[in-house]
Amino acid sequence: MSLIKEWVFTTDHKRVGILYLIGSIAAFAVAGLMALIIRAEQYNSGLQIVDTQDTYNVFLYFHGAAMILGFLIPGLTGFMANFIIPLQIGARDVAFPRLNSFSVWLFWAGIILALLTFVIPDKPDVMWTGYPPYSVTTAGNTAFYVFTVHLIGFASILASINFIVTIIYMRAPGMGWNQLPMFSWCTFGAFIIQLIFVPVLAAAVTMLLLDKYVGTNFFNPTNGGDVLLYQNLFWFYSHPAVYVIFLPAMGALYEIVSTMGKNPVFNYKAAVYGGVCGIVIVAGEVWVHHLYVAGMPDWLRIGQMVTTLLISVPVGFMVISLWGTLYRAAITYNIAMLYAAACFFLVLLGGLTGIPLAMTVLTVNLSETSFVHAHFHFVMAIFAAFAVFASVYFWFPKMTGRSADTKLGVLAFWLNNIGVQVTFWPLFIIGLQGMPRRYADYDMFAGLNFEKYHHISTYGAILTAVGAALMIINWVWSAAFGEKVKNGNPWGSNGLEWTHAACPAGPGNFPEDVTVGPEWSAYDYSKYGK
Amino acid sequence: MASESAASHAHGGAHAHHWEYSVYPFILSFGILFLVPLAFAALFIYKIPLMAIAFAGLGTPLVLWGIAGWVSEGISVKHLVPGISVAGLPVFIVSEIFIFLSIFSAYWAFRLMADVWPPAGTPVMPTMLPIFMTVVLVLSSVTIHVAEEKLEHGDVGGFKSWLILTIVLGLVFLGCTGYEYTHLISGGFVPGTNIFSTVFFTLTGFHASHVLVGACVFIAVLIPALAGKTNKPLTQCASIYWHFVDAIWFFVVSQVYFW
Repeated sequence: MSLIKEWVFTTDHKRVGILYLIGSIAAFAVAGLMALIIRAEQYNSGLQIVDTQDTYNVFLYFHGAAMILGFLIPGLTGFMANFIIPLQIGARDVAFPRLNSFSVWLFWAGIILALLTFVIPDKPDVMWTGYPPYSVTTAGNTAFYVFTVHLIGFASILASINFIVTIIYMRAPGMGWNQLPMFSWCTFGAFIIQLIFVPVLAAAVTMLLLDKYVGTNFFNPTNGGDVLLYQNLFWFYSHPAVYVIFLPAMGALYEIVSTMGKNPVFNYKAAVYGGVCGIVIVAGEVWVHHLYVAGMPDWLRIGQMVTTLLISVPVGFMVISLWGTLYRAAITYNIAMLYAAACFFLVLLGGLTGIPLAMTVLTVNLSETSFVHAHFHFVMAIFAAFAVFASVYFWFPKMTGRSADTKLGVLAFWLNNIGVQVTFWPLFIIGLQGMPRRYADYDMFAGLNFEKYHHISTYGAILTAVGAALMIINWVWSAAFGEKVKNGNPWGSNGLEWTHAACPAGPGNFPEDVTVGPEWSAYDYSKYGK
Repeated sequence: MASESAASHAHGGAHAHHWEYSVYPFILSFGILFLVPLAFAALFIYKIPLMAIAFAGLGTPLVLWGIAGWVSEGISVKHLVPGISVAGLPVFIVSEIFIFLSIFSAYWAFRLMADVWPPAGTPVMPTMLPIFMTVVLVLSSVTIHVAEEKLEHGDVGGFKSWLILTIVLGLVFLGCTGYEYTHLISGGFVPGTNIFSTVFFTLTGFHASHVLVGACVFIAVLIPALAGKTNKPLTQCASIYWHFVDAIWFFVVSQVYFW
């Protein structure tokens, strides 16, 4: 009974965070299985695994929607923000604990609705984008897509309110904005973006629902509507969504790299005021580049090319600050740091392949090819997923009071890291040669010998799947039977969650109220001679 | 800052040894799952009314139970930072503004790109009714302000009567919307008629749903007040929300009736 009371009905931010983690890992596992099916289907040209292209669309829908809405966003802004922020800023809980519990269960309701895809007739088959007119005219159940977005979106908005208020009003007495830890700063930016942009997505999918089931004309051009309106509203949220994913991921990397290198965050103020604030400011002016091919005047393409490239300025501030944190650092390479190190490479790779995609002349040709597919998997999906994995390993002792198994963790890391490289590099190559995204069958390109690249890519996916499975097994096993940590601060970190709270952190987080002085910094490693 | 830390200390001291919990958020979220997506899909997509009734019959009591329990708990339990909900509600309103902005920008895009406006099939829209509705809504903003003043001065009786008056004005507004809708729909102007009807029903309907939510929140404030329990932050939040709904109405009314 007390298990149900203290876990299912919990309002404690740490347990709500772990509920988010369980839900998002479940979504990750199922959506990962879909990815394996997609890779197996593309192994050879023609249809082998799926019976029709429509079934393939359902798998694509579930993979995309569940990975982004069910795993990345809830993993970063649900699990990580919940577990880390109050501990990190010295608060006993979030501002609205019941609202927090409401958010996590709305998210779970969304996951359940998404999983119902597999049992209902007329499965949704609209990708994660749900573009009309197809989504309005399809026999598939677009309503479940819409309601999944509503439930998870509402959960996101409520979480944004909760954490914006928490960070503004509940920092430990004495903690100024220039002392706020990087993860809290980055996630604060992500929550501002969510608060502003998620409602627009909610409005867009609501219009879709009305068009399909009430017969309104929002996206019906024969009656005065506009199909491109949906794409505009959708990407007005969904482009900034990549910053909702990027910012907390970067924030966690700062914490991990600084702690493992025993080095202060390089150029903290530039990263915060140029990087985080800069991204929040320019996030809302980039979305039109998703419509390059859908149709727009040439002059607008040029303008959008400039705004898209502009985003690399604040991102550059943050990445330089992250690299600078490594300067003359005494790095301890454990599993968290290995994932963080892989992220350095992934963000560089994803960022550099993003530049040609911002260039109008190139992107008009590269759009809808697997080059784009590989690009965003590296920069958004895998980069952020690795940051989540790094964070789970880093804060594992704080969550469970035990440490994760190192050997299994390192093995899983190398399988994951090699696996994703093997999966997506071939897709860059065949993407440049014209391999389209989203195709179950590529017989029409028989002369181009794409099959051997797809073979390699599928082998990579299998490696990654083994790695991910080992990783999850490691977490579950170590949470129950892992070696107990001796003290509250196994990494020798200077953050409040390590110096002031026990492992695992108990109810109310801190035995004593936390206050910090004006000279306090989470990254002050001067006792290590820095 | 000093008072905040004192409050959190008192809280921490009192609750540091057990995990806090509440059953109501869980009940409410699954009530919503049954009531909205599942009942909707059963009725409109799979056309199985019995299943829709079952889902709605399961969802409705869960939602009501969840809200009622949450409100009574929210009134009695102390927050870590007293009155912080008053800081949270304006943040929520920011997101509300962006939902309305999306629908408005859709409307502006349609209207500015249309060859002829109003599109064929649009009847002459009423002008007296929206003016009356505006007056009602502005009055209700005044009455809730008076109610708050009464509460501030400890006059719970006056608070209750002004609150009831506000709720009545809100319901009058909703009645006007209902009357207008039946009138327009019987005249053949339905959401699918043309692009104006699409935006008209979406904007006014979405706004009316906010009036309904506001009125329900006031009822949730009123019921404990009748039992003698008042809560200032909750009342303040309900009132801020109501003023927001009132302010949005000016945009709605000026854009759809008088442009």
